[in-house]
Amino acid sequence: MKDSIVAENIYKTFTLSAKQRKIEKSASGRKVALDGLSFSAREGEIYGLLGPNGAGKTTMLRILATLIRADRGDAYIMGHSVTKEAEKVRSCIGFLTSELKLEDFFTPDYLFDFFGRLRGMDEDAIALRKRTLFSKFGIDLFSQVKVGDLSTGMKQKVSLAVSIIHDPAVIIFDEPTNGLDVLTAKVVTDFLSEMKEQGKTIIVSTHIFSLVEKLCDRVGVIIGGKMAAEGTIEEVCCGKTLEDAFFDIYKRTVQGA
Amino acid sequence: MKNVLTIMRKEFARFFKDKRLVLGTLILPGVLIFAVYTLMGSAFNDSTQTYTVKVVHSSSAFVQMFETGDGGESVFSFEEAEEEDADAICESIRSGDVDALVVLPENFDAILAGGQFLPSGSAPEIQIFYDSTETSSYSAYNAIASVLTAFESAYGSLYSINFTGGGDLTSAQEASAEYYAMLLPFLVLVFLYSGCMGIAPESIAGEKERGTIATLLVTPIRRSELVVGKILSLSALSVLSAVSSFIGTFLSLPKLMGQGYGDAFAAYSVGQYFALFAVMITAVLLIVTLISILSSLARSVKEATTYAVPLMILVMLVGVSSMFFGAGGAAWPVFLIPVYNIVQVMAEIFSLRFSVVHFLITVASNLVYVVLLVLLLAKMFNNEKIIFNK
Repeated sequence: MKDSIVAENIYKTFTLSAKQRKIEKSASGRKVALDGLSFSAREGEIYGLLGPNGAGKTTMLRILATLIRADRGDAYIMGHSVTKEAEKVRSCIGFLTSELKLEDFFTPDYLFDFFGRLRGMDEDAIALRKRTLFSKFGIDLFSQVKVGDLSTGMKQKVSLAVSIIHDPAVIIFDEPTNGLDVLTAKVVTDFLSEMKEQGKTIIVSTHIFSLVEKLCDRVGVIIGGKMAAEGTIEEVCCGKTLEDAFFDIYKRTVQGA
Repeated sequence: MKNVLTIMRKEFARFFKDKRLVLGTLILPGVLIFAVYTLMGSAFNDSTQTYTVKVVHSSSAFVQMFETGDGGESVFSFEEAEEEDADAICESIRSGDVDALVVLPENFDAILAGGQFLPSGSAPEIQIFYDSTETSSYSAYNAIASVLTAFESAYGSLYSINFTGGGDLTSAQEASAEYYAMLLPFLVLVFLYSGCMGIAPESIAGEKERGTIATLLVTPIRRSELVVGKILSLSALSVLSAVSSFIGTFLSLPKLMGQGYGDAFAAYSVGQYFALFAVMITAVLLIVTLISILSSLARSVKEATTYAVPLMILVMLVGVSSMFFGAGGAAWPVFLIPVYNIVQVMAEIFSLRFSVVHFLITVASNLVYVVLLVLLLAKMFNNEKIIFNK
């Protein structure tokens, strides 16, 4: 199996405001978000980035989605560099996060067409894809209702449909089930399993252990912008539950540092 | 290019499907301009009004000048007065009982009948006293002065009107037709700016605030395509708003100038109307790109509106500048100054001192500024610190 996603030695720092600088007691005025992070995800697997809040998961995924640039290092998606071939990378990924919103003013139907066109799809392909995805996620029922009038779960379904409109080979989901009820969360996790069956490469970030145990083939534990442990669930757990294993890793990393 | 069109289509859909936006930016500006200008015009060109004018050394030739050709009733009622009453009459002009005082030379009739050509400087003088803060007094003055000026040339300079010898009896000096020609560029600028303010911050800072711009940024389109699509559609919408303001201005001008539509057509040539429209479009492009740049620096619509206030004050100050510095006579490099050049060209058009060279310099330089600003904006969209500074 080949590696669809490769991250090599990614560094990313953010400038702190004067106030934050005092709180963090940082002399340089910069906060290190990613400190030489490397990992790879293979075709047909679900890779989980696990870590506490502020570990750098979202930053890593944003770099993969070309929304922000790494200070050093590079990542490759389907062989395209995220720093040098951003447009090619964006055309082969589906990116979903709660931070990407759809305009309240439009209907799911309109937005689906709009993003289909921006993805360079022709009208027939868009219509076909719309029928498939709208019936799959039950969007048919509210396809003509303005996004602003939809519930959180409905919005998430529309966002999901829009993010995979172009049938991407690589799917990047940041906290995919956050804020969703169990029913909608199940729609999402079932969908991810199905995509895996189809041979897509999927990378999800989460701090929910059960989600990782249920879904992921391999997992990378990020703490303080560094890869603290990586491998299959069994390798990382060493016979313990994932939760216990995580606490061990966390203690080792923080105390060791 | 296709992506630019897709973005534009969405921006147009966003605009035209929203009744409030259409009403606020397309319909209201034109209607408001028309209403305000028409009201101003009616107030200053009230033709049904009659004026009470006191005349010292009254003459039949003078009264005849004001008789209407078709034997209709004159709007002036002239009353004879004695020279020594002048001070008392001035007092009643101030109080509004009398509209104006005209002091003719003695034996005015004889001078006109004599028909001798007098060397300049020795011609008998006419003085007019009025109060420019009293609307009717001021209109009476304007009407008398224009009739006398017309006859002055017809009679071959047998008399001269001493405008300084008479006098404005008010302390408020600024009030004339020129004054309104000066006011128009300012008002046009105000309406254009508010048109742009209605849509640009919403489309850029609003999308940032709501997180919808990030959804666009993960599609394969280039940042520059997004910027160009936004600027073009926002400008097109603002131009529509400008058209609305323009139609409002156009339709109310005759009323404002106290003429029929035919006269207004004559006053401004088709070329000048075109020039006015072209200048308005460059103004819109300039304002839209400036507000867009401020909006992309802002984190929210509210912040964008706050950022736009200093710019608005600046634009408004430049807008009233023509009132202080006057129109026309400026050297050509002045027309390279953005916004100020727009005001100057509009003032030139409104005061019938249109210059093609000034117009072309203005349009060309403004287009160059717009292109440079669009390039800057595209650079800003590429900067994660600006586009994700939540």
